[in-house]
Amino acid sequence: MSVMRSIGAGFEGTFRKRKVFVYLWAVNFVYALALVSPLLALIQKELGHSLTGSFIKAFDIPWLGEMVFKYQEMFPALAGGLAVPALLFVLLFIFLNGGLLGRLLDREGPVTLAAFFADCGRYFGRFFRLFLMSLAFYAVAFGGVLRLLSAGLDPWLENVRTEWPVLILSNVHFLSGLLLLSVVHMVFDYARIVIVADEEAKALRALRLALGFLKKRFFTAWSLYLLIVAVFLAGTALDLFISGRLAANGTLTLILGFAWMQALVVFRLWIKALFFSAQAEFYRMNPY
Amino acid sequence: MNNLIRPSRLGVALVVLALVVPATGREQGPAVEGDLGLPVLRCEIWAELDAVGKTLHGREDLVWTNRSGEPVGDMVFHLYWNAFKNEASTFLREARDESGLFGRGAAPRDGEWGWIDVTSIRLADGPDLKPTMEFLSPDEPANPDDRTVMKVTFPEAVQPGDSIRLHLEFQSKIPRPVARTGYYRNSFFIAQWFPKPAVYVEGRGWNAHEYHLNSEFFADFADFMVHLTVPRDFVVGATGKQTGIRVDEATGKTTYTYRQSMVHDFAWTAGDRFIKVERDFIADDEVTAEEYEHTASLLGLPIEEVKLPNVRMILLIAPEHKRQIDRHFRALRAAIKYFGLWYGPYPYETVTMVDPPFRTRSGGMEYPTLFTAGTRVLTSRHVLSPEQVIVHEFGHGYWYGLVATNEFEEAWLDEGFTTYSTGRVLASAYGPGALPMSFKGIPLNSIFRMPKLYDFEINRAAAINVVPYDPVTTWSWKFYNTASYGANVYARAATLLETLERLLGERTWSRIMRTYHMRYRYKHPTTADFIGVVNELAGSDMTWFFEELLDATHSFDYGIASVSSVEKPRYLRGVYDVDGEKKELTSKRIKEFEAEAASDADLPIQQEYVTTVVLRRFGEARVRGDARIEVLVRFKDGSTETRFWDGQDRWVRLEFVKPAKVDWARVDPQGIWLIDSNLANNSRGADGLRRNVVKLMARLLYHVQSALQFLSSWS
Repeated sequence: MSVMRSIGAGFEGTFRKRKVFVYLWAVNFVYALALVSPLLALIQKELGHSLTGSFIKAFDIPWLGEMVFKYQEMFPALAGGLAVPALLFVLLFIFLNGGLLGRLLDREGPVTLAAFFADCGRYFGRFFRLFLMSLAFYAVAFGGVLRLLSAGLDPWLENVRTEWPVLILSNVHFLSGLLLLSVVHMVFDYARIVIVADEEAKALRALRLALGFLKKRFFTAWSLYLLIVAVFLAGTALDLFISGRLAANGTLTLILGFAWMQALVVFRLWIKALFFSAQAEFYRMNPY
Repeated sequence: MNNLIRPSRLGVALVVLALVVPATGREQGPAVEGDLGLPVLRCEIWAELDAVGKTLHGREDLVWTNRSGEPVGDMVFHLYWNAFKNEASTFLREARDESGLFGRGAAPRDGEWGWIDVTSIRLADGPDLKPTMEFLSPDEPANPDDRTVMKVTFPEAVQPGDSIRLHLEFQSKIPRPVARTGYYRNSFFIAQWFPKPAVYVEGRGWNAHEYHLNSEFFADFADFMVHLTVPRDFVVGATGKQTGIRVDEATGKTTYTYRQSMVHDFAWTAGDRFIKVERDFIADDEVTAEEYEHTASLLGLPIEEVKLPNVRMILLIAPEHKRQIDRHFRALRAAIKYFGLWYGPYPYETVTMVDPPFRTRSGGMEYPTLFTAGTRVLTSRHVLSPEQVIVHEFGHGYWYGLVATNEFEEAWLDEGFTTYSTGRVLASAYGPGALPMSFKGIPLNSIFRMPKLYDFEINRAAAINVVPYDPVTTWSWKFYNTASYGANVYARAATLLETLERLLGERTWSRIMRTYHMRYRYKHPTTADFIGVVNELAGSDMTWFFEELLDATHSFDYGIASVSSVEKPRYLRGVYDVDGEKKELTSKRIKEFEAEAASDADLPIQQEYVTTVVLRRFGEARVRGDARIEVLVRFKDGSTETRFWDGQDRWVRLEFVKPAKVDWARVDPQGIWLIDSNLANNSRGADGLRRNVVKLMARLLYHVQSALQFLSSWS
């Protein structure tokens, strides 16, 4: 039951601190807009005056073919140009996670820009060190465990009679990867929670404490994590249902469509916050 | 000459061949009814499959007739499987050199090589030709290590009209799957497997090429009779019609006999997992009287000439794909129907469709009267797969099978024609298909709404991107890389044919394709032959089209650079000579005139606008001959005006004086020039930013936001 109570309390926490989503959404929106503005200008240049613009679709292969032909020389530079901002965004979010978690866990504290950024600054160093440690965990999970699994399956798959075992096991393999990923994510979520909730000064010690905490109640904690994943998947399914109905042309559907897309961005930010908030509640409910 | 069979003795040889029938006595007459012409070859093969040792043991009796006007003193054979013998072969060298996706993984792994050894070759009456046997490397750069082309020399030249009979024995090691040949467990796909004579071209000699990574095949028409001995529990599918079966209880093996006249290759498959299903294409059930009438009228032929025969359809399919049997047959029926109506009736009694055995990598390939399709255990009903591959590979029966072009040297004549025809059949039978979307073998088209497209749209997107690399008519292995080969000979060639169809109109085009097909059935036409038919029926010389767009690397791109409208001034300021005096028309005077005109209710002012449309030829390619670039200009009052431009210069400025401003201008409003590399610049409106563009931008922003969120999940 502590799982459901944690989610309930986590939900309440995120609702109380909903202002934080405005900050995070604004950062995401402005960053994305800055990143994509050259492409938007390109689209305007190519299609702004063309009648093709009247019937262009979201995934318009004929037009994309033309763009590839016209700009193919630019692609390597574009890929390089996107890699740097992508990396910077990861760093930026390591920074913002401090604010998000700091405000969520400070039950009575206000959500102000000053308080938010103070938390960002306070936890950035430790969160960054945790991020570096997480890379080692990912390397072990994907480079070690999953490769071992592949090595175990491959000889058997070499000699199967039909496509079915290949299909099933490649999906099992993929699912295993996702589950492994969820475990690593969860471990580091708790490590961050330890840093904020217990004001733990050492990142490595926070990780050790998180592992110790999870060791005693791994499956309960994991089920909490997976339950939030299920909420995320339900939201994604709802999006697939709704967005298909917003495909019609018209100014109103255009506005509604844009609003819906931004609502989805906020929904995902909320899920991220719910992970922190619910797991923090779970952490508080289960002292060790 | 003892070793030659004179025409008078050819009949004797035929009788001998006809007498070699299986013990069951179920042998039938000629596999194909009607006169299909005279084959250059008659070929009888006995092959025994060792399913455990993965080898083939074969004997081959050949009768080759010299149908040229010159004596021929030697004979050249393809031994294609030697391409998989070692990494020194031309095929595997090219695979190794191909840095991209296509070359990797082509080479067999250790212990999985394949090869073919001719252990004996002699004339029917005795003389051994093996001492004369040598391997050739006819292509540049020469590769003396390649063993895929073999030559033997006759003691005496074969005179024009004479025939020669040879007896060969060969042993082959079947490779693990490579280039659509090989075995996996107890499933075998056997193609390009026997010593196959090259094509003798008068004045040029034997037309033979090494087996290249990017090339297919070329062979002469033959009458085949093939006896295949396989383990008793194997199901067999092969070129032609099964005419005999003999079970040998002692060895536990079964020998199947297949016969087919007037085909230029023979392929077969055998395995212990196939389900064999047979159905008939009943022409009367598939084609309505109206369709016959429409086709006859379009082609200018009597209805009797467009009537289709019934065809026995055979499907060999894996048990796990059993649910898709109806899907396979529906696609095949559509292909038989439309290819038959448009190009000519399917002339053989059978067509065998093989669902490629698992992991034999033999899917999507054509052989006479037999082809391999390809599907997955999970498919989407929204995506035209396996339909696309079925229609395409059956289509090769027309463009390669019947019109037997040289796939080494002019691959576009089979791949381009088939790709173009496939798109037409799919559009007629199914409409546009959704782009496939799957993950880990699970189709996701029911979840994600992927756009539906016609084949010509996809082909065009690929075509425009490879124009700068190679002419379409480049020899197969001389393309810049495999991607250029593929996109040029399939997509670009198909796009050019589609463009030509739009340019010449449905009636003319239908007659061109029908005439070309029927005139060159059972022959080896070239690009020049096709152009000849086009010129003959188009009513004008279209050679320029092929020179400019097929034989060159010129991008085709006409577009609109600008459109603008300005008020046409009714008075122009300045000094004028009036009655011998210099008089100045000033701004003030003009305003007075305009005020007077405005106050006169009987003379309403009709404001006019000068619209300027600038057209540009952005690409190197130019239209020539009678072709013109059409421009449609629409004005704000709804009126339109059409002009034509010869398209020779780099640009042209068109002016229109109308009582309304321009709304938009469009080049090629009929959408004829599908090969145009930029359709977005074909039109330009006076007003900017359209709603769909805003939507596209919003989506792009959202996708970038989502990507950033994904990245942030790792932070």
